[in-house]
Amino acid sequence: MNRMKMRDREPHTLAGAYAMDAISAPDRARFERHLAGCHECAQEIASLREATARLATATAVPPPSDLKERVMAAAAMTRQQPPAVMQATGSEATGSTARTRAWRGRLRWAAAAVAAAVVLAVAVVFGVSNGTMRHQLSQAQASSQQMAAVLTARDATMMTGAVHGGGNVTIVMSHSVHALVFTVAGLHALPASRGYELWLIGPAGDRRVTMLPPGRHDMTGPVIASGLRPGDHLALTAEPAGGTSRPTTPMMLDVLL
Amino acid sequence: MTSARPEPGGARPSVTADLGAQIGLVARGDAAAFDAVYEQVAASVFGIVRRVIRDPAQSEEVTQDVLLEVWRNASKFDAERGSATAWVMTLAHRRAVDRVRSVQKESERERRTAKADIPYDEVAEAVESSLERERVRRCLGSLTELQRESVTLAYYGGYTYGQVASLLGVPAGTIKTRMRDALIRLRDCLGVDQ
Repeated sequence: MNRMKMRDREPHTLAGAYAMDAISAPDRARFERHLAGCHECAQEIASLREATARLATATAVPPPSDLKERVMAAAAMTRQQPPAVMQATGSEATGSTARTRAWRGRLRWAAAAVAAAVVLAVAVVFGVSNGTMRHQLSQAQASSQQMAAVLTARDATMMTGAVHGGGNVTIVMSHSVHALVFTVAGLHALPASRGYELWLIGPAGDRRVTMLPPGRHDMTGPVIASGLRPGDHLALTAEPAGGTSRPTTPMMLDVLL
Repeated sequence: MTSARPEPGGARPSVTADLGAQIGLVARGDAAAFDAVYEQVAASVFGIVRRVIRDPAQSEEVTQDVLLEVWRNASKFDAERGSATAWVMTLAHRRAVDRVRSVQKESERERRTAKADIPYDEVAEAVESSLERERVRRCLGSLTELQRESVTLAYYGGYTYGQVASLLGVPAGTIKTRMRDALIRLRDCLGVDQ
């Protein structure tokens, strides 16, 4: 009984210890439960932490000079946590948008993973002078940002299709961003001398998008195709490894966008 | 442009005014912004981590972890709930303390020997040169001795309030309240905005 009363009062007096992490793990958990329901306490902690932060910044010492390169390289290989998502209103969350959202999530991770892989490759190849690294980083980032723009566009729509000869394609496109993100699973491996080439074909002419990168774990892509115009089709052909300027073999995929 | 309150003698680096915005960009995967964030916080992160952990190699490791956590969890930063500097320093301090406690059992004896030289002199030695450091030092100096020792042992030494209580031979309840009082005084003395 007395003990209960003590426990009720206790959390407030723990504010200082908590703000300095001078608290055991069980105490910390208990205090955090208390904080969740006590706005005033959360405000007090926030203000005390502004003070402890000053205790920290007062100890500033330049870290070893090679630490930065290590941190930047590690960051390039590290996936970021998504933000907390605001709840969609009930009527909006129909099956298909929910599915699209799930796909977008997966594609976004894939995009981040690809960007990280690119950066790692760049780091290995160039032996990373800091400036080079930064430049390459921002290029990989630009591509993943472009993907993010498509995946988060209001008019983003998802399509799926089958590749003749095997493979399932997923496309998320946005006409407002004039781009699409393309991934394919289960594509047949080609001999080293040949590769898959992606095309946009339409009233504006045939445009080469890119050679697909080699697949990893059965997944190829994501790749971004920009310069999308109304009436375009997306096509896939198998071509010599260096790529060609126009399709030379039958379309293995033809999707009207 | 975010408005930084001008500080006499440039006591606080004006760049910190943009730290929150930079972290917002980092959340969107902006590597250049992360570079800028690194420049702004790395020395403080390394400073506090090394102060708590002491071992240079481990301190580097934890500093790297902390900065990576800033990268990974940038989307979790919420400017409504405090400054970006406080957010980063909270991550840094907690990581350092967690590291110390996870290895505490093995090196209990080592830490017991180390504890003797933690308190005020060392803080004073590190807290020098800039006006900012001077101000922190002055504010620490304005605390009662028990408050100051509680804060330095807890924050810079990485001890729990229970451990601080037994080191100082004072009841744990007293230490808890001294800690809170001390931080409130520090906050007011330092003129912290929030």
